[in-house]
Amino acid sequence: MVSKRFVLKRLLMLFPVLFGVATVVFAILHLSPGDPAVVIAGERASQEFVNQVRADLGLDDPLWQQYVRFLGEVATFDFGQSYQVNRGAAVSQILVDRLPITIELALLGQFAGLLFGLPLGILSAVKQDTWTDHLTRIGALSGISIPIYWSGPLLILLFAQFLGLLPTSGRIGSEYFVEPVTGLILVDTLWAGNLAAFQSAVIHLLLPVVVLGIYQMALLSRMMRSSMVEVIRQDYMRTARAKGQGSKITVMKHGLRNAFIPVITVIGIQFGSLLGGAVLTETVFEINGIGTLLVDAINRSDYPVVQGTVLVFAVLYTLVNLGVDLTYSVLDPRIEQ
Amino acid sequence: MSTETQTETIDRGIVERLRASPFLSQLLSNRLAITGIVIIVGVILLAIYARITYDLSDLMATQFGTNPSEAAPSAAYPFGTDGQARDIFPRVMYGAWYAVLYGTVTVVASTFLGVSLGIVAAYYGDLTDNVIMRTMDVLLSFPSLLLALALVTIFPEELGLWRAVGALTLVYTPRFARVVRGAALKVLEDEYTDATKALGATDPRLLIRHVLPNCLAPITVQSTLNYGLAIIDIAALSFLGFGASPGEPTWGMMLSNGVEFGLFSGAWWWSFFPGLLLALTVLGFNLLGDGMRDALDPRMRETVD
Repeated sequence: MVSKRFVLKRLLMLFPVLFGVATVVFAILHLSPGDPAVVIAGERASQEFVNQVRADLGLDDPLWQQYVRFLGEVATFDFGQSYQVNRGAAVSQILVDRLPITIELALLGQFAGLLFGLPLGILSAVKQDTWTDHLTRIGALSGISIPIYWSGPLLILLFAQFLGLLPTSGRIGSEYFVEPVTGLILVDTLWAGNLAAFQSAVIHLLLPVVVLGIYQMALLSRMMRSSMVEVIRQDYMRTARAKGQGSKITVMKHGLRNAFIPVITVIGIQFGSLLGGAVLTETVFEINGIGTLLVDAINRSDYPVVQGTVLVFAVLYTLVNLGVDLTYSVLDPRIEQ
Repeated sequence: MSTETQTETIDRGIVERLRASPFLSQLLSNRLAITGIVIIVGVILLAIYARITYDLSDLMATQFGTNPSEAAPSAAYPFGTDGQARDIFPRVMYGAWYAVLYGTVTVVASTFLGVSLGIVAAYYGDLTDNVIMRTMDVLLSFPSLLLALALVTIFPEELGLWRAVGALTLVYTPRFARVVRGAALKVLEDEYTDATKALGATDPRLLIRHVLPNCLAPITVQSTLNYGLAIIDIAALSFLGFGASPGEPTWGMMLSNGVEFGLFSGAWWWSFFPGLLLALTVLGFNLLGDGMRDALDPRMRETVD
């Protein structure tokens, strides 16, 4: 069982990290050569107007004042108004609307990766140094070497353009409108009881999830293999076999549980690459998550949105790793020391 | 003893030492790692060849009138031509130069920064260690591609692809710092470090002559694995629109243009070939890096012996 002290300690450690993250984001935006006042006022605005906007934004205040104000805003989840989206929509609202889209994609990609990656890794380890093992390993290395922005468009070309089996982009057919409740399209369509819309969403998400999942599958099968190879060599596995258990039962009963522990940590560490992959996948498949939001915001110098998005990504990553640490300590209580 | 036998003994000494080095013998007996080395050497030779043979401004200029526009691959144009009637084959070859050059600068710069910070943190400990490593922790709290995207904005646009190099250098530095700090701490615990200090070695001498060489193995593995990552991430930033300028024959830019303007009118060859070369190059580095890691990990070594 995890001690309360350990959980509390890990939770308290969140604060300095989040404080640091906010500081980095503040620093990045203040180091950017672009001038937010010019972005808001427009390129052709008069100098007086630009100065006025700058004063209104508080950009003339001393840096430390701006920093303190920024920290206050972050703490209250208030990232100001977008310069571009919907003429000044609140950044926090935009994030609330679009975050579920990215989370859904990432979760489905992670799930697909686990579903295929773990069995492949186990197979590879059990059949170590056979052709099955070699093929799986080469497949996994290829999987992490192929860029999403190459495999994605090629799959669209094949399945959407040439074969006409799947749609090219988006999350759902344009003929469907589903009231966003959770923001997760698969859940919302089912919630509304609209099976046709659900089917459309599944078909739309298939390729993006495959593209994102291949990368996760490749990563996880490698980790699962090396973890399993190590576990198989342990004494307790030999003991179990010596006691007369068939090797399949031994692998399942004793091997898996112990082999999973390091894999779980890896899932946490790799969550960052999953989010990076989701950004690229969203761009390729024109999905309006916070990945495409960030890319557009950078292109349009929409600083409040850049700020909010990057912060949310970092917080998400940090929280997932916290969750992983806690899970890990449940599975292996020694970690607390 | 004649001089001849003397050199022979020395030679045998080197060969034996190489053979006795479990790292090298393990690495060189790994067929996948050898495949990786072959791919990497091939790409580097290609990069140098392309740099010498082709003129960059020719590759960037539109070629209407000289070449057909959007021609499918054929004997005359093995990789076809793009929308500006440019022959894609030499452009893809030249892309290797960009990948090797910008990838190398990114890896060398982040290795240098990370190693310096890691060693300094390990050696001075206390406050220095805390300040450096907590900063690294914060940078590691961002998903790497997203931090790179945000960091790209602090560099002026005129820097082109160097913006991606700068951003990714900062993103990769903490990984090196962490690995090196760990390795350096182990070395500093050894008695010979105390002995060296007792002999009056200065701090820089101790760090560079004694601590650094003993951290080389993990640094090399990390660099190799990061090489592939750097190449794929630089291309990703270009693909997202932060990096190369439109005409530049980098793989990322060609991919981005090919997907945007060619792919869905059926001109798959614009993006297919640059992507293929990119994936192959990254695979080469991953094969080698993987082999190195296995060779370094004594637990993995047991399987072969």
